[in-house]
Amino acid sequence: MSNIALKAPPGATDIRASEDVVREGVIVRHSTSARVIHWSVAVTFFLCLFTGMPIWTPIFGWMAALFGGLEVCRWLHPWTGVAFAVASAAMFVRWIGDMRLEKSEREWANPAKALKFLVAQGESPDVGKYNGGQKLFFFAITLLMLALLLTGLVLWFPRSLSRPVHEWSLVLHDLTFILSAVAIIFHIYLGTAAEPGTFQAMSRGTVDKAWARHHHGRWYRDVTGDRRH
Amino acid sequence: MPVQELQIRRSSASSPGLDTRQREMPVVAKYIDTTICIGCKACEAACAEWNDLPPVATEQLGSYQTLPSLHANFWNLIRFDERQMTDSVESLEWLMRKDQCMHCADPGCLRACPAPGAIVQYENGIVDVNPQNCIGCGLCASGCPFDVPRFSAKTGKMSKCSLCVDRVGVGLQPACIKACPTGTLQFGTKGDMLSLGQQRVEQLRANGFANAALYDPQGVDGASVVTVLAHGDHPEWYGLPKDPTVPAGVRVARSVLRPIGLLAVLGAVAAAVVHFLAVGPKEAKDKPTGNEERPT
Repeated sequence: MSNIALKAPPGATDIRASEDVVREGVIVRHSTSARVIHWSVAVTFFLCLFTGMPIWTPIFGWMAALFGGLEVCRWLHPWTGVAFAVASAAMFVRWIGDMRLEKSEREWANPAKALKFLVAQGESPDVGKYNGGQKLFFFAITLLMLALLLTGLVLWFPRSLSRPVHEWSLVLHDLTFILSAVAIIFHIYLGTAAEPGTFQAMSRGTVDKAWARHHHGRWYRDVTGDRRH
Repeated sequence: MPVQELQIRRSSASSPGLDTRQREMPVVAKYIDTTICIGCKACEAACAEWNDLPPVATEQLGSYQTLPSLHANFWNLIRFDERQMTDSVESLEWLMRKDQCMHCADPGCLRACPAPGAIVQYENGIVDVNPQNCIGCGLCASGCPFDVPRFSAKTGKMSKCSLCVDRVGVGLQPACIKACPTGTLQFGTKGDMLSLGQQRVEQLRANGFANAALYDPQGVDGASVVTVLAHGDHPEWYGLPKDPTVPAGVRVARSVLRPIGLLAVLGAVAAAVVHFLAVGPKEAKDKPTGNEERPT
């Protein structure tokens, strides 16, 4: 119990209420409120996905049975969409402050370099709490969510706008859904199997020091004050 | 209204293997000769009566037209378009046309519909809505180049002309045809209606209507409603689109984005699996870089 001094200060009800601090030998990466927001987005996203995919193509028609049929999906999907939009808005507000893209991170916008970072092992040791890829991903999904929301509203009220608007909203809603689905697959892979130790940042809220040092060197130094690396 | 006797050519949101046609049955068609329509609206009344459609409050539009456009409870509408052909008031022409579902051979509504079996095309070419499968999303209306399907607030489903499939299925004519007193409306096989139309067009051309034509839109592979127009070079004068096709957005969404989306999602999963197997996870090593001293 050498790190007893690092335990929560008196009066704190949740040792993970605040982020970017060392508690009981591990680093708190995401506070409880941040994780609640993240999982609200995740749950509402998957509700949208599973109610929307049977409407998108009959190949996924069996998903409708999860909710009681296609007609239920047609009724439910817009409302899960509203819930997803609300959760996404909370996520945007919660994280936008951390998402300022630094000069050195701009090369993430270059697809070839981004792919190299993602596929290969190496990366700059000077990464803060979020790397350039994470920040660009944040802005990309913000745009996708906005497009999904706007086109979804048009499709929800088909008779309120002209036929071509409705028709092209369908195209755009499908396109943004496909991009979101692809994005979420990579997001889940990177957060679980591809980078061991990452998932617990969103489940328990904490990461161990080795993980922080390896993936987010500068953030590790800032949080721990450990300047040796 | 589903009819057991009629086999199905195509069904919305279903695999191509749904074609249940065993026998050879000719495509039927309705023939409309706008040049001899007198605007009596007997077809409107017959349609509402046979299909038991509750009355819709009419609107005074400054013309004899019953409603501004089709309605969930009004599937057959005579449009009264008055047009002055030259500077002279004498040249006024009343272009009356019966507006209803065209029963396209390539129905945009059926392509756009996401609910399996909600829109079917029978073996005889009739395109019909099956309300028990319809989810009322309204996408069929986006797919229709003729602005025909209507949302019924009462049922929450879409509604349109069925070409009296329940009558045709037992060898009767559609109700509107039966009611027409002038011979404007005829019913038979598509081939017979086309040759009837061609004869009438030739007659009109010989009688001074040089641009007379038979309207059978090829952009939707033809339709099961063919219309004789004295001014065939201007179908828009009659409220008909000049070159109707299945809307490009509906075709892109259904024929392009569906396969691409499936491939993209499967490709993303495959890429993740291959990366995991070939490159492996990024383990967080205790010692980050170089030969730095391991923290104790």
